[in-house]
Amino acid sequence: MKSIRNIFLSALLLAAPLFAQQWKAPTGMKKLSNGLTVVVSEDHSAPTFGVCISYGIGFRLEPEGRTGFAHLFEHMMFEGTPVAPKGTLIRVIEGGGGNLNGDTRYDYTEYIETAPISAIDPVLWVEADRMKTLDFSPKNLENQRKVVEEEVRVNVMNRPYGLFFAIDLPGKAFDTYPNAHNFYGDFKDLDAAKIDDVQKFYEQYYAPNNAVLAIVGDVKPDDIYARVEKYFAAIPSRPTPPRPQVEEPSQKAERRSAETDKLAKVPALAIGYRMPPRHSSDALAGAVTGELLHNGQASLLYQALVKDKQVALSVDGGVNWPLGTPVEYNGPTLMTSFIVYPPNLKADQVLAAYDATIKQLADKGPSQADLDRIVAKMRSDLYDNLEIPISRASALSHAVLFDGNFDSVYQVPEELGKVTPAQVKAFATKYLVSTNRTIIDRVPEAAGKPQGAGQ
Amino acid sequence: MKILHLLCAVAVLVSFAMAQKEAPLPKDLPPYGAEKPLAAPTVSASKLDNGLTVWLVSEPGFPKLALCVAVRGGFAADPADRPGISQLLAKTMGQGTKTRSAKQVAQELQGAGGDLTAQSRNDYIEVSTTILSTKKDNAVAVLSDVLQNASFPDAEVTLAKRNAADELRQRESEPSFLANRAMAKVLFGDHPYHVTAPTQESITASTPDDLRKIYAQRFRPDQAILVAVGDFENNQMLGLIKARFGSWKAPNEAPLAAPATPSTTAQHSVFIVTRPGSVQTTLEFGAFGPRRGDPDYEAAEVANAVYGGTFSSRLVANIREDKGYTYSPASFLRQYRESGMAITRADVRNEVTGPSFNEMTYELNRLATTSPTDEELSKAKRFLVGIEAIQLQVRAAVAGELAGIWVDGLPPEEIGVYGQKIAATNTADVDAAARKYFPAAKAAIVAVGEEKVIRDALAPFAIPVQTMQ
Repeated sequence: MKSIRNIFLSALLLAAPLFAQQWKAPTGMKKLSNGLTVVVSEDHSAPTFGVCISYGIGFRLEPEGRTGFAHLFEHMMFEGTPVAPKGTLIRVIEGGGGNLNGDTRYDYTEYIETAPISAIDPVLWVEADRMKTLDFSPKNLENQRKVVEEEVRVNVMNRPYGLFFAIDLPGKAFDTYPNAHNFYGDFKDLDAAKIDDVQKFYEQYYAPNNAVLAIVGDVKPDDIYARVEKYFAAIPSRPTPPRPQVEEPSQKAERRSAETDKLAKVPALAIGYRMPPRHSSDALAGAVTGELLHNGQASLLYQALVKDKQVALSVDGGVNWPLGTPVEYNGPTLMTSFIVYPPNLKADQVLAAYDATIKQLADKGPSQADLDRIVAKMRSDLYDNLEIPISRASALSHAVLFDGNFDSVYQVPEELGKVTPAQVKAFATKYLVSTNRTIIDRVPEAAGKPQGAGQ
Repeated sequence: MKILHLLCAVAVLVSFAMAQKEAPLPKDLPPYGAEKPLAAPTVSASKLDNGLTVWLVSEPGFPKLALCVAVRGGFAADPADRPGISQLLAKTMGQGTKTRSAKQVAQELQGAGGDLTAQSRNDYIEVSTTILSTKKDNAVAVLSDVLQNASFPDAEVTLAKRNAADELRQRESEPSFLANRAMAKVLFGDHPYHVTAPTQESITASTPDDLRKIYAQRFRPDQAILVAVGDFENNQMLGLIKARFGSWKAPNEAPLAAPATPSTTAQHSVFIVTRPGSVQTTLEFGAFGPRRGDPDYEAAEVANAVYGGTFSSRLVANIREDKGYTYSPASFLRQYRESGMAITRADVRNEVTGPSFNEMTYELNRLATTSPTDEELSKAKRFLVGIEAIQLQVRAAVAGELAGIWVDGLPPEEIGVYGQKIAATNTADVDAAARKYFPAAKAAIVAVGEEKVIRDALAPFAIPVQTMQ
């Protein structure tokens, strides 16, 4: 074990001589003739591996009148195929000592597994098998529709705040269906889903040429490329729909609304500012600004609202929060603040303190010391996403799906250090303005009608 | 063992499926390959002259470092008139030292890539952070200051009390919090393990002096462990720790005694926690389980994996993949130094509260009365061993696990023998653990939701039902 680790260490030293702090694992990629992109990263620190297949389909692209379908479909990917009936996939992976999951987000749907290396062949086989076809079973669809509705109950309807900062806020902040609709799905839409819809969706989006397969762990690249070729190469490519326009018309004025909450005992605010596209020159400064404001007890908002002015119990948020890191999105997104505040205060008192913090950042900018601290914290957080094979496979797979290469995974932690106080100041001045934001005040129903709201 | 935390983010949209019967596997499915040995972390254990236990795991090559300090004495050690004050202590100990303000503590740790996480558990308080390994000098300096010189400034305590009162109000709207608190009360009664959180009364009554006194009692080197896992060289790290912690002195008073051994008999009744407006009932079955270190602990883990601890377990197959009653069925063992729990939980829509109760009872009794099949047993064992290997790659998880092992009075090698003990369990061991811990009649049931819904749903069952105050 020890010697394996030492070999890995020397490989790393060869790979990363440029900066003292930069860390990069040996990583490469290849495309099969059917369009499937394969990324491999070696990590011999333990005899395990992680796999992520990301498909280029998420909430943003699900059809109108079919809210929640991308996620419901994700559940159907676990419901069996003609040769591996319901239950086989999980039996094979757990029986191999592994774990698995699936996630649906705005810009991808991912399927992730991790297991001891002895399970690599059966895991690749079951992944390839469900890329060929599914068991399009009405009975299983009915079962998973019920399961998804229970998921919505447990995460939204039976839960204080009901994820309003992640579902209702984009719904108010954006104007077009791809970005504004309820991604978990209205029950009437979920109930209307037919097995034909499942089959059509699969045929449209679950093609090898719309997927990126990343494998990380105790593997050798050439060996893995050969195995992937063996299991996946015969799956034919298919045309996928052109990516629709998902950009938003610009926002002209602040949007403010109020909600009541049947379950919460303490009120909360959600504030969302529209962010620039990820590849714009402002994006990295935006990510840093979001973290400077929200990341931990040293953050500007925590210090101002919770400690100095004592108008909040907690502050959470950031760019692309809570559905991804501040550098991992591929379409319109928000910088969200979720603030729980004391019941004896009004939303406007909290907002006044919030606005003063934003104004100070826009007027004066952060100090270099402020920036150095948050850059260290962001690097540390980004490295956490690369620590173990399953999460590194996920990060690599998303980057390649969005950009066609994985450079950002290793470069962003470095590039954060180039953001200047002047850039953050300019970003705050340009984007953190009231005409670019949406506010929802959510108060306990028992506390009476919502107060101080526009509409 | 804990399932990977990384899979638990907000709004992770999860799916899983299950085989009802063990159909033959697909004919083209390749077999599992040869097993490679899953090496456990190598722990370098030492003790400073002042009694501080130090366990180091050197993992070079990746630029992160996890630090975790545990001190004996958590919720179960709280004074009877200050239940849950450990939580207030954990929240305030980073809010200022003799030489650093709260803001300086937070900023210095952020500059090292970390956050201060201080949490009260049943038997200990855990203070942890994960940082960039290049910044370890700074982080260890702040951590040592917080552990030795916390000052509990009056203004910080006043603010923390006010926020803790509102936070408790808020947490009382979450069904999982209510179920957890009720189950501890039902199983442990007046034993100190019933404390899972502060009360409004204890928050109001707590003073900065209370906190200073408890801090002085519990934060002493001879009752503490420091675990570091990550990119460092052992001798250098030990030197840094000695320099920062070597002058920490234990008081002359005897340390706190461990809690008494609690009862092992649960009252087989339903305890309702009313939560108006609920669209689901949170059903929780709780029985006494083994402690880590008990001879049948690993067998109970295997039994739990067969029953409800994996995606392909019987419970998930039944109430999720067959009947669609719930998204989130789960079962797990919970550890205390002097006790253990076996818990099953599911949030089910109101209309299927009765049928879900019926199926959960059925699956518990099926486990307790019939042997797992060979495939179930082999799958459960491979799962637990494999997941352990995967979990051991997460530096913070290794640090936390080792700290918990020390609190339980076990040696560091325990982290390596878990997998071996799991692999060595056989059907007879698992049957015995299943009969001992899993019969439904040995469980108390907590149901959180609409009282009338629950009472109506459970009326046909021959079990007493009462509403908790």
